[in-house]
Amino acid sequence: MTLATRDVRWGVGGLPLVDGVTLAVEPGRTLGLIGPNGSGKSSLLRLMARLRRVSSGVITLEDRDIATLSRRTFARRVAFVEQHATTDAALTVLDVVRLGRTPHRGALSPWNAADAAAVDTALAQVGMADRRDRLWHSLSGGERQRALIARALAQCPSELLLDEPTNHLDIRHQLEILALVQRLPVTSVVALHDLNLAALFCDRLAALHQGRLVCVGTPEEVLTPDVIGHVFGVRASVERSPRDGRLQVHFLLG
Amino acid sequence: MTSWPLASARPILVVALGLAGLALSIALAASIGEMTIPLEVIAKTVSNRLFGTTHALNRIQEGVVWDYRLSRAVVAACCGGALAVSGVILQALLRNPLAEPYVLGISAGASTGAVLVMIVGVGGGAVTLSGGAFAGAVAALSLVGLLALGSGGGSDRVLLAGVAGSQLFNAMTSFIVATAANAEQARGVLFWLLGNLGGVRWPDVWLALPVVLVGFVVAMLHARALDAFAFGADAAAAMGVSVTRVRVVLFALTAAMTAAMVGIVGSIGFVGLVIPHAVRFLVGHRHARLLPAALVVGAVFLVLADILSRVLVAQQVLPVGVVTALFGAPAFALILFRARHAR
Repeated sequence: MTLATRDVRWGVGGLPLVDGVTLAVEPGRTLGLIGPNGSGKSSLLRLMARLRRVSSGVITLEDRDIATLSRRTFARRVAFVEQHATTDAALTVLDVVRLGRTPHRGALSPWNAADAAAVDTALAQVGMADRRDRLWHSLSGGERQRALIARALAQCPSELLLDEPTNHLDIRHQLEILALVQRLPVTSVVALHDLNLAALFCDRLAALHQGRLVCVGTPEEVLTPDVIGHVFGVRASVERSPRDGRLQVHFLLG
Repeated sequence: MTSWPLASARPILVVALGLAGLALSIALAASIGEMTIPLEVIAKTVSNRLFGTTHALNRIQEGVVWDYRLSRAVVAACCGGALAVSGVILQALLRNPLAEPYVLGISAGASTGAVLVMIVGVGGGAVTLSGGAFAGAVAALSLVGLLALGSGGGSDRVLLAGVAGSQLFNAMTSFIVATAANAEQARGVLFWLLGNLGGVRWPDVWLALPVVLVGFVVAMLHARALDAFAFGADAAAAMGVSVTRVRVVLFALTAAMTAAMVGIVGSIGFVGLVIPHAVRFLVGHRHARLLPAALVVGAVFLVLADILSRVLVAQQVLPVGVVTALFGAPAFALILFRARHAR
């Protein structure tokens, strides 16, 4: 068992954004969080990343309450890639990825071979090794997302949380980023908007609606016309592609 | 590609160069003035006083060098270094290039405290000008802190609370000056508000030097945490930084450094805003390099500005804040202009 939530609640100003979610992530697999805007995907991810404290309920990592772990211990285990993260500082790709070593370094410990190796591996994993000296401002959206994923990988996490990593990317980069996430040797939790991409790249899906977990299971179990109708409020038909047998969601107008 | 001139230079060389430059600028500050004193006399004076040697010297020259000019130059160096380091910290924590040491209302509060002592006579002579300024700075900072916390505590809220606090205390200062001061007092207040190294003596050094050294060491211990703030507080937290603790420690640190300096020399503008930017063009964005560079460059800058303030107009000393802005602004414009291709 890696990350799990038990009856987790959280809200802002009396408005519940995450409302009693119980969910277990399977080790080594990719879990997709789907749901409309405001369904609580991002909030749930932020709670799992320990960026917000749960109002009630508990989130565990290896059966230990994450609130009892130190920030550094937690960050060596779980990495988080934010949506729309950017910086005004004139940093190179290498500078950005080096930041990922922060939880592994004391205030006085010098940069060592393990740090350098982790950064090199992370850059290679996202295919940015040849662009390590490029400045952040000069990167395309896809390259920035790769650099941020490399920063997260430099933390050497066993769990990776990603908040809509494909937002604002063209279709080629969407496919590339998700294929990258899928083949990484870590447990991933990804918030996604696009149901077809979710079906394509996730081992399991969790559908959220108004902060509540509607259902969780394989893409076949979750992506049904009933669930899509209930969660997103649209009519859809779900078929298997005659080409490769994968699920395809078609939206019906009217 | 990156083009920071000193980013790849050996750190030890840069440190040596910086310290040599600082020593030279302080020696020059002791040498230059209405009475020009040769550098040789400066060296002998320092040797006599620090190492107990017995070089024969003109007593008046030795007195001027040791009692007036050296203490003044060392305080100028501490003040410049402290303001520049505070600026680096605040720009990183608030992720705003306009952040500077006075953004938390410290300078405005200090001015109110100072005029209360200077004009209204609060404390009845028992409270010094510096003490009043320090108390005012702490009062303003507390108000801004409460406002910022009450409004949610994000970076933009801290900045807005700082603006509101500064306006309030500046208005109180103006009110006191307009209603209670005579022309001579008003002129004194104006001088003090623009930065005045005039009355500085060795006791001020023994306050300023420990403050800036401790502040610098604490800042250096947080250099990596400051780096991690490049993508915001949440990103820093996700990389294992204890955001709340780091913020509290570093805000308190910059406030203490700035309030101490403002208490000694008044509010000298420009250094804390611009030196961090200038230094970034030299050494890049890593705080382990940026903080020491800012310390030394800020120190040298203010020592040189103080020399200029004494020689620019014959028979008259300008407020040093006028000089820092008058010469710093064009220099900064030049740096910005030359660096337009760097990013």
